[in-house]
Amino acid sequence: MTILILILLIVLSLYTLSSRDLLHGIIALSAFSLLSAILFYILYAPDVAITEAAVGAGVSTVVFVWAIRSTERKDKG
Amino acid sequence: MKEKKYSIFFIFQIILSLTAVLAVLLPIFLSKVSWPDLARNYLEQNGLQESGARNLVSSIYLGYRAFDTLGETIVLLVAVSGTISIISHSGLSLAKGFGEDEIKKQTYNSISGFHRTELLDVVTGKLGPIVLIFGLYLMLFGHLSPGGGFQGGVVVASGIVFMALGSKTDSSTWLQEGRVLAKIEAAGFLFLILASLSGIPGGFGFFGNPLSATEASPVIYIIILNIIIGLKVGAGIGFMCIAMLGKVE
Amino acid sequence: MIERILLIILFLIGFWGIIAKKNIIKKIFALSILNSSVVILYILEGSKIGTNAPILEEGVKNVVDPIPQALMLTAIVIGVCITALALAIAFRLYRYTHTFDIDEIHRKLHDEPF
Repeated sequence: MTILILILLIVLSLYTLSSRDLLHGIIALSAFSLLSAILFYILYAPDVAITEAAVGAGVSTVVFVWAIRSTERKDKG
Repeated sequence: MKEKKYSIFFIFQIILSLTAVLAVLLPIFLSKVSWPDLARNYLEQNGLQESGARNLVSSIYLGYRAFDTLGETIVLLVAVSGTISIISHSGLSLAKGFGEDEIKKQTYNSISGFHRTELLDVVTGKLGPIVLIFGLYLMLFGHLSPGGGFQGGVVVASGIVFMALGSKTDSSTWLQEGRVLAKIEAAGFLFLILASLSGIPGGFGFFGNPLSATEASPVIYIIILNIIIGLKVGAGIGFMCIAMLGKVE
Repeated sequence: MIERILLIILFLIGFWGIIAKKNIIKKIFALSILNSSVVILYILEGSKIGTNAPILEEGVKNVVDPIPQALMLTAIVIGVCITALALAIAFRLYRYTHTFDIDEIHRKLHDEPF
């Protein structure tokens, strides 16, 4: 089960770094945080799972979206 | 220039870098040493009596290694104040090519513009207090179940962002004002310093539990530390997110 | 064993992203991925010696090692602080040079003196 989640994490990280639209990359990063929170729960670490879910899929996504909305959104133009 | 790209020097560089990476990483794969379990055995037997918390992770970062928590709150304080000072001075920058109308157009980035829908009001404005209550629950019960100061603080910050997103311009709560959140964060840091020094008069050392000698349960100290850290983290990160939304000047 | 190999691959993907990408926001994405991969490595290694979460209810034996989890709580919070500060600096650079491309920024900052 952990091997499957790790392969999904590698695929998501490759999509984050090579997407043309930066908003798609932010959503993929948020899904990356969610999957790693599930991985922490499977590995018997509930404290770290709550912290990663609240911080990665919450505060970090808000900060990234703020950095995008007042500047540009396209990449590799 | 393309045929010079794959010269012998380039291939030599690639082989050298791969050898270096493998020489560093290969001992990790080939090591057969098992993870030592001395610390886990000690904590399983003595963790509950010495600190009173059933959650062993809380008893570590608030009891045995509380100095790391002090360092982390200092890093959070520096990061939040640095981010807010960088943001709030950039609207007045006189960079090349910026005119007056460009500054007006680009600093008008508050949410309460003309693109609001009812969905944002109903969902986030009504869910905000529920998220705040969940954050308070995580803070107060961090010693019995998964949770604690940091987790509760970040959820409280999310609740503050919800309430800031869901409020119209004429009905804003006191949680949204910048002065209140900054004062809560500064007060939280002051109380953390006071709580860390409270064990010294009794002879328990820095961050020592002053209730170890009395008959009260030593878990009250951990609950107080959880509340202080939760308020500090929540106010700090909430203030940073509200400053990014543009609702505070 | 194979999980360690996958985590090393994740670490190298983040490392490649910081060096090879030209957009500043992509570099900050890669910084966050790098941070997450190290946190997963610590929790993975710490979970091999037990079968229960480290919360001592009645009759719970053989818990997982709680020390790497306490250290990684601090690491996650510091990681988000670094990300927020890096994004504030990138925002400020955009205000000054109107671009996120690192080559353009380098050219503009070195060709036109203050």
